[in-house]
Amino acid sequence: MRKFILPLLFLFLFILESLFVEFLPAKIFGFERIFVPHFLFISLLFLTIFVGKKHGIIYAAIFGLLFDIVYVEIIGIYFFLYPFISYLIYKLLQVFQANLITAFLASLLGISLLEIGVYEMNFLIHVTDLDFMGFINLRFYPTLLLNAAITLIAAYPLKWLFEKHSEAMRTE
Amino acid sequence: MPQFFLNKRLIILLVSIIVLVALIGFSLRERSKLSWPEQFVKDTTGWVQSLVSKPTHFVAGFFENLQDLQDTYGENKELKSRIENLVNLEAQVQELTKDNQELRDILGEKTTLRDFKPLPATVIGRNPDRWHEMIIIDKGKLNGIKKDMAVVTATGLIGKVKNVTQFSSTVQLLSAMDPKNRISAVVQGKKDVYGFVQGFDDKQKLLLIKAIPSGSKVEKGQTVVTSGLGGVFPKGLMIGKVVDVRPDQYGLNQTALVKPGADFYDIENVIVINRLMTQPVKSEISDGKVREF
Repeated sequence: MRKFILPLLFLFLFILESLFVEFLPAKIFGFERIFVPHFLFISLLFLTIFVGKKHGIIYAAIFGLLFDIVYVEIIGIYFFLYPFISYLIYKLLQVFQANLITAFLASLLGISLLEIGVYEMNFLIHVTDLDFMGFINLRFYPTLLLNAAITLIAAYPLKWLFEKHSEAMRTE
Repeated sequence: MPQFFLNKRLIILLVSIIVLVALIGFSLRERSKLSWPEQFVKDTTGWVQSLVSKPTHFVAGFFENLQDLQDTYGENKELKSRIENLVNLEAQVQELTKDNQELRDILGEKTTLRDFKPLPATVIGRNPDRWHEMIIIDKGKLNGIKKDMAVVTATGLIGKVKNVTQFSSTVQLLSAMDPKNRISAVVQGKKDVYGFVQGFDDKQKLLLIKAIPSGSKVEKGQTVVTSGLGGVFPKGLMIGKVVDVRPDQYGLNQTALVKPGADFYDIENVIVINRLMTQPVKSEISDGKVREF
């Protein structure tokens, strides 16, 4: 049973992201901004921080590939960025102590890196012609705000779940 | 020893960047269909998504109904006033349809660019990162959906089918930026003006209709519909209303800014349009490099 909890959780978040966007209206609080949910990536980062590098990067690669195939149809963008940023965050948190506050800040940093990385890649392959300032105003700030709120809510349950999981792995 | 590990890491990074570029190149090239592993993954997730999305649609629909109840009274009043005109219009339409049919019979012309067969579908997913504006619908190849078909909602055209798998397909919305995605459109007026839907203004949320000849007159408020002259789209699908017209970069053409009739957000049910009129063989009419729809 324990083995299936993590894949099921990530699959659920994977689908939840698309449902969230589907029901999101164009204007929120009167602003026409683009809010991108990163539920899956936040939990992947928490997995890397609280369970371990190996787990984090493998799950990040698998779900990055899935994301690319199902939602983006250009394979490579998330397949590369998810594990790469997970690894960077893991390295960063070796310097600091891993607790709720550092994990929160690190996941915010991870999301900003992801957003900028995806923007640069899409700009490179001409999926978008939005200029950088436009990107920052239209997408970056709102996305960061949304995900900060989500991380704030989900941080404690995620930490609890992953710590329990890693303890159970150790005793096995 | 540390030197060696540093090198190993560097090599992994370099190899993964090479793989990344190769994969992106592979998926960006013009593909008539997806490779079978991709189709398999999409079908599997599509099945899970439709399992999840049906109850969610039900719950969301319930709350929407509650909201609708609030302004029922006002709506009812307005609709009642409209219904009186409707009876008149209906009689007129019937007469015109009959007339049209008779004239068509005399001419011996059976199908027109306007005729199509609708295939209803439900939205089961949407691209969360919203760079590539795409939705996933629950009908696929087995239901008769083919690549490049037009997709509409009750209020207008929203996009075209980008890829088809056995049980689901992805629809690229008009709001996606894709230079290859061109739709032949016509601005309805005293004299029809032709152009291409090409691109979307992200900040103003307006569609761009390009390649309108500079001499032709396009005014604010005119309706834009598909022309049916491309390949697979039928004639007369609503696109939107003209908001603004401006000369293009070199002053040879005009660009019309069009407010789309359909809402690109909160889409639940769509109709895929299967045009009945046969399509000319592509190699006969073009060199196959530029695709127009």
